[in-house]
Amino acid sequence: MPILSVRNLSKRFGGLKAINDVSFEILHGEIVGLIGPNGAGKTTLFNLISGILTPDSGDVILEGTSLKSFSPVKRSLMGLGRTFQIVRPFSMSVLENVMVPILARDPNIARARAAAFEILSLLRLEQYADAHPDNLTLALRKRIEVARALATRPKLLMLDEVLAGLNPTEISENLPIIRQVRDQGITVLIIEHLMDALMAVSERVLAMDQGALIANGTPAEVTSNECVIKAYLGEEDPAC
Amino acid sequence: MNANRLKLLGILLLVATALVPVFAHSRFILHMFTLIFFYIALSSAWNIPVFGGKMSLGHAAFFGLGGYTAAILYVKYAVSPWIGLAAAVLVALIGGAVMTLPLIRLRGPFFTLASIAFAEALRMIAIDWRSMTNGSVGLNIPFRPGFAQLTFQSGMPFFYISLLLAVVVVVIAHKIRYSALGYHLQASASNDEAAQALGVNTKKAHFIAFLWSSGLSGLIGAFYVFFIYVVEPNLIFSLTLFSLQPALNGIIGGIGTIWGPVIGAIVMTPLGEYLRFYLGTIQQGLNYVVYGVVLIVTVNFIPGGIISLIKLKVLKSKGASGSVIKTKEAA
Repeated sequence: MPILSVRNLSKRFGGLKAINDVSFEILHGEIVGLIGPNGAGKTTLFNLISGILTPDSGDVILEGTSLKSFSPVKRSLMGLGRTFQIVRPFSMSVLENVMVPILARDPNIARARAAAFEILSLLRLEQYADAHPDNLTLALRKRIEVARALATRPKLLMLDEVLAGLNPTEISENLPIIRQVRDQGITVLIIEHLMDALMAVSERVLAMDQGALIANGTPAEVTSNECVIKAYLGEEDPAC
Repeated sequence: MNANRLKLLGILLLVATALVPVFAHSRFILHMFTLIFFYIALSSAWNIPVFGGKMSLGHAAFFGLGGYTAAILYVKYAVSPWIGLAAAVLVALIGGAVMTLPLIRLRGPFFTLASIAFAEALRMIAIDWRSMTNGSVGLNIPFRPGFAQLTFQSGMPFFYISLLLAVVVVVIAHKIRYSALGYHLQASASNDEAAQALGVNTKKAHFIAFLWSSGLSGLIGAFYVFFIYVVEPNLIFSLTLFSLQPALNGIIGGIGTIWGPVIGAIVMTPLGEYLRFYLGTIQQGLNYVVYGVVLIVTVNFIPGGIISLIKLKVLKSKGASGSVIKTKEAA
């Protein structure tokens, strides 16, 4: 049984078909990349899966359970984790940021503090535990975003551009984090613009354009796919 | 000044305050202190939902519900005030639930405006429901001194009752702030969508915060009615006295912090009384003009409230970086 099935998902914003009949599956333990030009609908897809947006039609199924009637809170508690492309740290210390999701599952402060510190150590953030996120670099704030999502103990983690906006040094520092997440036994769906980075970590790649899924295969297959190349170069092709 | 020395200073201040009645026998001074304690308690209770970014300007509703419940039970049904206190909390809790359930979806100013309407509606009901509330005339608490009647000859018992009430509410606010509920409220105030995506049931957190806040406000209101011997719609459901004032204390002292409302109440209560006595007699409403200027100046020049100035001083003497302020008290 796949960990996640997306079935015929569609979402319109007024006259714009943001997501148009998208279906795919993700298996346990996979790292799946999601690519596509700006406005392809990648983040909208994440918002539909995590429940922030309600689809017009179609369904999202997590380990055999339809998520249709579940709120974002319930979905998170069921093991669906996500990060936000625009980082959204809470106005509190880094450690407390990571404690928030842990406390939603177990209200004990001392245990939450210890568990949060463990996650910070895993992501090599322990020296920033008492710092305020506003005073840290974007690279560190993106890492906090991942730490916080990891603290929800997700079965499936959706990472939305955790490498975007970082310089090459920062990318090489943050890239191992994605592998570390997988080594925790967590299935990963990752949106990334940086093809090299994505190719380095993902086993399978989904490509989207104008709300539709246009390719699904190994990184090599997808990057050589005619439709994907045309989508990136901006050509219209009725065959795609 | 480190945390331990601050704690010691706080305890010394508390002990010194508790000794005031021993040295000061003036009824006026005791009355002023009692009023300050009531406002510390009410402002701190008001402040609990503010941890989650929900600012109410309708706390007179819970204060008044508590006051009326205790007074009606005592005056009309001869129920002991001490049982009346428990009933007051219960009725205020119901009021809190009734107000919060439909309003919890509203954000920021919309929530605040709706809360004003709620308190005003209760004031109208209290005026019109004459058979129960005696209308605009209100109900008088008969003067029958005795512990069982919660009525006293001297001003001393209420000095200590209100002091205890203030300490209890501040301690509860502190416990909530540093509990799971407190972190969930702060997370929701920072970014509600992100908090929900992390599995935090933010609506439930706001609801529980409001129950604490309204229940405590009802208790304070019930004690207050026995302190002033009267309950009357325009007084107990007063927008300025019990909805705006606790909010102003919180804003001026330092919003969303534990000590902000306490400092706000200590500074603003005597100021408000002083202005009312000396300016209110020159020209009606002049006291509010000065009061308004104080508020505008505070919000413009020290948006973090008085407490942010104190923190800055403490940190400077410690030579620490500015980040600590945000870490500890940002809300």
